[in-house]
Amino acid sequence: MEETTDINRELMLDANATAGLLHEIFGVEMTAEPTECAHCGREAEMGTLLAFTHGPGIVLRCSGCENVVLRIVQTPEAVYLDARGAVYLRLTIHKPHPDSDSLGG
Amino acid sequence: MKPTLNWQIASVTNIKPETTQVKSFTLTLPSWMRHRAGQHYDIRLSAEDGYQTQRSYSIASEPEREGEIDITVERLNDGEVSTYLHDVLVPGDLVEVRGPIGGYFVWEAGLLPAPLLLIAGGSGVVPLMSMLRHRAVARAKNATTMLYSSRNFEDIIYYSELEKLQSANNGLRVFHTLTRSQPAGWKGYARRIDETMLREVAGPLGTAVQVFICGPTLMVESAANALVKLGIDSNQIRTERFGPSGG
Repeated sequence: MEETTDINRELMLDANATAGLLHEIFGVEMTAEPTECAHCGREAEMGTLLAFTHGPGIVLRCSGCENVVLRIVQTPEAVYLDARGAVYLRLTIHKPHPDSDSLGG
Repeated sequence: MKPTLNWQIASVTNIKPETTQVKSFTLTLPSWMRHRAGQHYDIRLSAEDGYQTQRSYSIASEPEREGEIDITVERLNDGEVSTYLHDVLVPGDLVEVRGPIGGYFVWEAGLLPAPLLLIAGGSGVVPLMSMLRHRAVARAKNATTMLYSSRNFEDIIYYSELEKLQSANNGLRVFHTLTRSQPAGWKGYARRIDETMLREVAGPLGTAVQVFICGPTLMVESAANALVKLGIDSNQIRTERFGPSGG
C-alpha cells in the first residue's frame, strides 16, 4: 500500500464507519452487501473494506490486496463516485412490507 | 429494513457517567426503529453560521428497549463532537441523529446461536455491550466469552454490569486485561492482548466461533491476526476499528 503512510494506517477504519454515507448515496444499507475487488477478485461484504476517511474524500480499499475499490468525494452540489476498483456493487431491492417501519435493521 | 435514512431530532432524557472520561446518553427518538446489536447512529451538530460536523456512535442498549437508545461516548480532548456531548449537553436538550446504521458488524441471538467471542479495546466495548444486553434479554445460552482490554481499572466501562451478567450463569465468561496499571490483588491479565491470551480465553469456544472485535486499529489488527493463526477462519471475524481522532 505505497500511497499510504503510517499515520493513515493508524487512522484507518472499516467501511462500516461509512455506512451512513453509503446509505445516503445508494438509498439502502450497503455494508452487508457483497462486492468484488477488480484487482484481486476477492468477494466480501462491503463492511470488510478498509476505510480512509481523513482526506478530502473517502477511499475504500480491499482488505485482501489493499487496492482502491471505491472513491467518494462530496461537494455541496454533488457526490462523485469512482467505482472502477469494484467489479460490481449489490443493492437489495426492498419490497414494501406492512411492518416496514417497525422491523428495523 | 427501512430503505430511507432520515435525520430526526432526539431528546436527551438521561446522562449517566460511566468513568471519568465516558458517559452514557439516553436519547428518546420520535421515529424510533428497532436496531440490531452492533449498529450505530450518526449525530450531527450544526453551528449558527451553517457549519456542520457529524460523528458515528455505537448503540449501547439492547434492541428490545422501545422508543429510546443509549449511546456511550468517550470524551476525546481534541474531539469536536464528544466534548460538546460531554461538556455542554444536559437532559432536555435536543440533538440531530439518524440511524440505526450498518448491517455488517451486527449480532442477533437467533434460535441456535454459535459460540460468540467478543474482543474489546477501551470504548470499543460499546457495540459489544449492546450484543451482551441483547443476548441476556433474548435468554440466549450460547457459550460466549468477552475479552476486554482497558488501560487502568478505573477506565473499565460497565464493570459491575459485566460482573452481574457473568454471574447470571448463562454461558458468559468475561476476562479483563489492564495494560497500564493494575490495582493491588488484580487477578486478571496485565498486558496487551496477544496470541497466548487469546488461546487461553478463546480456546474452549473452538474454531466454529463468531468473532466481533472493536477497538483501536492496531489492537483490532493484532487480535484478528492472532485469531487467524489459532485456526479461526477470517470470514468468521468481524472488525470495527476506530481511529484515535474519532472525536
